[in-house]
This record gives sequence, C-alpha cells and structure tokens, in this order.
Amino acid sequence: MTQSRRWRQYFSFMVAALPSARGLLPLVALLAVWQLLQTGNSPYFPPPSDWWNGLVLLAKSGRLYPALSATTLTLLLGLAVAVTMGAGVGLLMGVSPRLNRAVGPLLEFLRAIPPPAIVPVAILFMGYDERMKLTVVVLAAIWPIVLNTSSAAERIHPLLLDVAHSFRLSAVDRMRLIVLPSVVPAILLGIRVALPVTIVVTLLVEILTSIEGIGALMISAQRNFQSSQVYGLLVLIGLFGLLVNDVFAIFEAILLRRWPPKIQSENF
Amino acid sequence: MDRRRFIAGINWPGTAVLVLAGLTWEVAVRSGLLEYEYLPAPSAIGRGLAELAKDGILVPDIAHTLISVAIGWAVAIAVGTSLGFLLGLSPTARRYSLASIEILRPMPGVAFAPVGLLLFGFSLETEMVVTILPVLWPVLVNTMGGVAGVHPRLHDVGRTFRLSRKDTILRIILPAAMPAIVVGARISLGLALVLAIVAEMVGNPEGLGYGIVREQQALRPDLMFAYIVTVGFIGIALNAAMLALAESLFPSSRQLRGGK
Repeated sequence: MTQSRRWRQYFSFMVAALPSARGLLPLVALLAVWQLLQTGNSPYFPPPSDWWNGLVLLAKSGRLYPALSATTLTLLLGLAVAVTMGAGVGLLMGVSPRLNRAVGPLLEFLRAIPPPAIVPVAILFMGYDERMKLTVVVLAAIWPIVLNTSSAAERIHPLLLDVAHSFRLSAVDRMRLIVLPSVVPAILLGIRVALPVTIVVTLLVEILTSIEGIGALMISAQRNFQSSQVYGLLVLIGLFGLLVNDVFAIFEAILLRRWPPKIQSENF
Repeated sequence: MDRRRFIAGINWPGTAVLVLAGLTWEVAVRSGLLEYEYLPAPSAIGRGLAELAKDGILVPDIAHTLISVAIGWAVAIAVGTSLGFLLGLSPTARRYSLASIEILRPMPGVAFAPVGLLLFGFSLETEMVVTILPVLWPVLVNTMGGVAGVHPRLHDVGRTFRLSRKDTILRIILPAAMPAIVVGARISLGLALVLAIVAEMVGNPEGLGYGIVREQQALRPDLMFAYIVTVGFIGIALNAAMLALAESLFPSSRQLRGGK
C-alpha cells in the first residue's frame, strides 16, 4: 500500500468520525440568542463576542500558552506513567490468579475512593509542585487501566497459551508475542475510561492549588471578575477535552487496525 | 444458609492482604519507620472518625452531600430521560443535535466551578452547576441508545395491536429501553457523588468535600482521612444499593452490571 493511499484512508476515517455539522445547530442557536439578547456589558453574562477578546487578552499577556502547555504536559506524562505501571500490574494480576485473588480486595477498596479526594492528600504530602500534580493524575488514571488489563489477561483463550507451550516459548516471548498483543485493546479501553477523569483531576489540582495550568488561569479570572475570560477559558477547556478525546479516538483506531475485529468487538 | 460454603466463599488471601496492609501501615507509622509527618496510622483515622461523629459534624456533612447528590441525580434523570426519549424517538432531532452533544459531553465538570462561582458565589447553586451537566450525559445517551435500539419488530407488534402513540411508548418502548436507562442512572449516581465532592471542595464550603479540604488546611490528616474513608464507603453503599435495585427490577438481565 502506498503512503498517499494510507493517508487518504486516515483522512476519510477522520471525516467519517466527525459528527455531521448540522448537529451543531442547537449550540450555534444558543450562542446567537445569547449574543443578540445582550444589552450593555453584563458582569455575569458577557456576550460570546467578548469571550474571544478575553482570550486574546490572556494570550497577549503571555499567560495562556504556558498554562495550556503545562496542563497538556501533565496529562501526557501522567497517562504515560499510568499506562506503564497500570499495564504492568494488570498483566501480573491477569497472569497469576493467586496474586489477583490476594490483591483484588485491596485494589477494590482503593478504587472506591473518588479520584478528586486524593488531591488534598497529595497536597498535604507533597506540597505545591509539578511532581504532586503528576502523582495525582497517575493515581486517577491507573485504576481503569489495571482492571481492564487484568481482566483481559485473564480471559486470554487457553488455546493461545497452548500454542505458546507447543512452540516452547520462553516466559518473556510468551508475554511479548501472546499476552501483550491480546491485552492492547483492553489497555486502550482503560485509557479511554481514564481520560475524562484525568482531565477533571488535573483541572481540580490547578484550581485548588493555583499551580500553573488552565484551571489556575480560570479560577484567577473568576477571582478578578474577568467574566469574559472565564467563559472564554470554559470554551477553550471544552475544545481541549474534545480534542483530547478525538485525538485518542483516531490514535486508537489506527492502532487497532492491526487487530482482528473479533477482539475489538469483544471489548467494545 | 450453608455456613461452610459461606466460609469457603470468603476470599481469604485477599482479606489477609487487606488486614496485613493495614497492620504494616499501623506498625510503620508507630515505629517511626515512615518518616512522613502527615501520615496518620489507621487507628488514628478511626479515632478521627469517632471524633468527627462525637462533635456532631459528620452526620450533617454526610446529609448535605447526600442531599446534593440526590438533587443533582434527580434533575439529571428527569431531564436526561425526557431528552433521551425525544432524541431516541426522532431521527431528525438526533441528526440536528448529536454534534452539539458530542461537543458538550467531554466538558470536564470542574470547569463549570469558576462559572458557577461567578454567577452564584459559594452556594448550593454553584454545586448544582458543577454536578448536573456532567451527570446528565450518561442518562441521556443511554436512554437515547436504548430507545433508538428497540427492535423494529416490537414497533410492528405495536402497530398490529393498533396501539396509540402513548401506549406504544409506555407499554413497548419504555420496558424495552429500561435496562439501558438503569445502567445510565447507575453510572450517573457514582458520578454525582464524585462531582458533589468536587463542587464542595471548590464551590460550596459544606459537606464531605469541604471537610476533606478543611482538615487538609488545618493540618489534621487523621480527620482528612476519616472524611475520605467515609466518602469511599458512601460510594460503595450507593453502588451496591443501585445494583440491588436494578437486579430486583430486572432479575434476568446480567448485562446491568456492565459499564464501569
């Protein structure tokens, strides 16, 4: 397959993934009504046209881009660490039923604690810094990945493990060639579940501690009654969430193209 | 009950690890092995819980959080199921709003906290602003999917019996879509608790969420952990109650457990 054809495939996939544009109508109508009903400058409901100005003002003051990149970096690093650790623990638990049974209740107990509740704990223990922010993201993202990985590793078809046995694969090769490929869709599913939680937790840390990031920017705009900036940042965060979800959906689709559809549908 | 089977059904290694972890924690803190200034031992957390209960703040805090969860959840279910029914029944309505939903759905709930604070200050209204919107989506999307996914043959049955529009909805579509709606409601309930806690941390200085932040700032980690443990148990209890309710409503469908 030529490179250009492959790109065209990705492109058509992306176009198909975008919901049809006419569905935007209610949102556009709402914003239009908001804009038109606006009389004078309300401190609470600034017209949408002002939101943009608020954002431009923030960008010009040089605070917007560092905040945006700080939040993005935390999210990416946190996910990377959570995937590495979560998949590792999940694989071990999935491969060894004894370990699974022993650690299961402890994990269930830890998982019952809502992720935002770990934010104050992390603040108390680690103080106000980037390391703390990262830890919180990892702790929020890791559970869905661990659970999905371990249950997928448990459900690997016995026949596949027999194949490994017949070929006299070493433990390392069995992991690399059989187990890992079978759990990749589950890991991806775990990340998809974790994504919205990690975004919420990152913003919460930033709001509570004013560590650099979009959340900190938003709460400081609120404290200064810069309402147009608050709404502008709200839209920005919405777009950010949408972008993160869409980029991940595309990444996932590209990665899973090499997996047989049966495994995919089993997990979705 | 068969007592022997009950005893055999207990996950002994799991329980042992849980107890052992607690004991190690206790010993490590007491012996000064763990050099964390702010790490309370499990026994201290237990005493903290008792202290909170004795001071009479734990119960009102629990009540406040549970009430805001109930309000947020009820509103989300009312709005979510009605909009979900509308969108599920009408493909046109779906076509002209799905993209808007897909844009609003990934909006993180906390981001509404500054907006709520701007409009309502520190209040229950702010808490509702943060809670309701994110909690709405699972109900709405599940209802929509459940209603739109009703098998066409069931619609044919309705037509054969010459059911009115109202009867078709009440007697055919609603029962068929009910399992999906209940799954949505269950996901929403867990989410409502998390978001109420978040809102109390940021926007409404009351309830369990504020308790956690307050004790963190007061450097009382034992009380902070006591609040966190309480929240964890409430989460488990709510989920178990919802599962029991769902299973008593639809004993046959095991798929209700799905959707982590």
